[in-house]
Amino acid sequence: MTFIEPFTDMVPSFFGMLNQGPLTLTIFLHTIIILPMFFIYRQEKVRLEREGKQ
Amino acid sequence: MSNKIVSVWTDNNFWKRSAAWITGFSAILLIWLTFDTLGQITQGTDTDMQKDAKGLYFSKRIPSATVINYKIGYEYSDKRGHEVPTINGKEKFFGRDDYSEEEAAALLHLGKLGSQAKNCMNCHTLLGNGAYYAPDLTKAWLDPKWKLMMAITQKKTREEAMAEFLQHPSKYPTHSRRMPNLDITAAEAKGLVAFLKHMSAIDTNGFPRNFGKKDITLRERSAK
Amino acid sequence: MMTTAYKSKDLATMYFIVATVLFGAQLLMGLIGAVQFLYPEFLFEIFDFSVARTVHINALVVWMLYAMIGSVYFLLPDETGIETVGIELGKLGFYVLTVAITVVVLVYVFIQIGPAAESTIWLINEGREYLEAPRWADIGIVVVVLIFVYNVYATAIKGERTGIVTVLMADLLALAGLYLAGMFFVDNISVDQFWWWWVIHLWVEATWEVFVGGLAAYGLIKMLGASRQVVEMWLWVEVAMLFGSGILGLGHHYFWIGTPEYWWEIGALFSALEPLPLVAMFVHVIYDWGKQAGKNGSNTINNRPAFAWFVMNAFGNFLGAGIWGFFHTLPQVNIYTHGTQFTNAHGHLAFFGAYATILIGMFYLNLQSKNGIERMRSTFNSKMAISLISFGVMGMTIALTVAGYGQVLVERAQMGATWDAFFISQQAQWFVQGMGWRLAMGIVTIVGFVYLAIDLLSISKVNHEKV
Repeated sequence: MTFIEPFTDMVPSFFGMLNQGPLTLTIFLHTIIILPMFFIYRQEKVRLEREGKQ
Repeated sequence: MSNKIVSVWTDNNFWKRSAAWITGFSAILLIWLTFDTLGQITQGTDTDMQKDAKGLYFSKRIPSATVINYKIGYEYSDKRGHEVPTINGKEKFFGRDDYSEEEAAALLHLGKLGSQAKNCMNCHTLLGNGAYYAPDLTKAWLDPKWKLMMAITQKKTREEAMAEFLQHPSKYPTHSRRMPNLDITAAEAKGLVAFLKHMSAIDTNGFPRNFGKKDITLRERSAK
Repeated sequence: MMTTAYKSKDLATMYFIVATVLFGAQLLMGLIGAVQFLYPEFLFEIFDFSVARTVHINALVVWMLYAMIGSVYFLLPDETGIETVGIELGKLGFYVLTVAITVVVLVYVFIQIGPAAESTIWLINEGREYLEAPRWADIGIVVVVLIFVYNVYATAIKGERTGIVTVLMADLLALAGLYLAGMFFVDNISVDQFWWWWVIHLWVEATWEVFVGGLAAYGLIKMLGASRQVVEMWLWVEVAMLFGSGILGLGHHYFWIGTPEYWWEIGALFSALEPLPLVAMFVHVIYDWGKQAGKNGSNTINNRPAFAWFVMNAFGNFLGAGIWGFFHTLPQVNIYTHGTQFTNAHGHLAFFGAYATILIGMFYLNLQSKNGIERMRSTFNSKMAISLISFGVMGMTIALTVAGYGQVLVERAQMGATWDAFFISQQAQWFVQGMGWRLAMGIVTIVGFVYLAIDLLSISKVNHEKV
């Protein structure tokens, strides 16, 4: 048994590779969508604090 | 403005920017996935088909139209964990098993046009999509019912029975809900049967499950 | 309130009238189909199920598009503060579209089908569920929608651009553009259905939902006097969540049409999140209602029938699109429920809950504004309409779910989806009884529609507080 699941779909592809058993692909996609929101949050926090001080 | 610090969580600008990012990036991902998928669902060629015919499985999700020259099955695959279409050697289709790529593609084209012109999808489902008034047609070619229909229509082969049924459906009622006459010509019927045979060879990731594993028709007949 | 002076609102009225007529036609066609499920000889080979169904679902899509276009023409002057640009062009578009749709429906009803040739696709019926409109009509629809989008953009650029208008601008462009994905013929049925879902899914589970978010935001400000800042914040949250789940949620239509296995995961997990924004929308409406309650004495709400439909929308959207959608969105469930009466049950409650409700609410807002009514009360007819239609559609949904339960277990789980399996399931007691109840509840819905039609024609004559 290997750590990386054997590829089960018919035709190999990038997204097929990420699909390594339950949830791997979808967790990956959700993460890269959500992560930049932390960056947006920080920027907006700085902006609000600056506006608050004025 | 006021000097009170507002939470980022109730700030319009934060949500506006987040909405723009999420929407834009999801759209980009979808477009990328679309290219990937379209590459995989492009129809195979006759060369692929001949190569695949040496084994049991298809190498293309959507095979060439020349699949009508072969005998199609639907078997459980250990690797995939569900049923997949299989190739089981050559099979005659309206008396021939040597349709060229052009001939087969022309038949499929006529059949696909016919499936839309006759509005099949507003009673039946195709690949599970459509209306729910009549049986799903995804694997209709493989339906065990055609054995009985061959006897009823007095035809020697499955494709001839299908073509006869399609031309005069209300003449062969099998249930109180009948298929209406749709003025399907003999040529159109041949195209439609080719279209249905080709559809049964599409790799649908195991939909529908256990298709035709219970041969109800034959069992009921032997009980009588 | 000088709202009646805007020509844009008169144009909205024209769209709303046609929408209401088509809504009635939709219900009538549904009735024929429901009868045929129980008595298959009814109109056999005269007006077959496929014909009734085609008109049923096309009338649905078209009346909603009419009501959506009408809603935009209605709210645009309020939001931008100016008269809509290009009203005459918009009127021309209205007449062209209405004539085209009349011809299309007459062809569906009297010609029905054609030979297996390109000419049928161009002139009679494209034969793809929801997108049956022949190609000539597709092109006409695109032209008319371009006029509409142009008017919206020109008005928004000239006038004030609120958050609601900004969202609608982006949304309408996507909505119009997506229609193009459904306008070509291809032999490969997997490719066909791949793009077909781009139109259907990205309309009803993404762009239409965002549109409803925009309407709800507008309605809350208009009817309750809710704070624009708070309402628009919610709107952006909803856009983020709706598009975040809805765009890749498209994958739940790609489980079984020949597309790769990776769509199982993408479709399942993204579409599983689709109910979340619908919860948010529901909470938002109820929260604003509670917050504004009592602020203007006992008259918190200045249009009671419209507000009732907006609340019904918040609830129905969550229940029909959210809960009933989630029921069968995971592939391990969907392998059995795909293309059964289960799908049908979801379709009925989702289209009603998410769209019909709020658009009917817009009809009432329009009547209020047109007749210069300060506070519109509900009449007996308004209450009968919303009660009977909601009860009827909910009843149909439950009946179809029961029928679907019978079908899924017998045809799919037990017998493997063949010709015989299908018909054995259709004769199962659960199925037949479900269909009987569906017909009964369909008739309740139609009676409710009669009340609605009477109410829309007469409510403005009742004694309301005038301006």
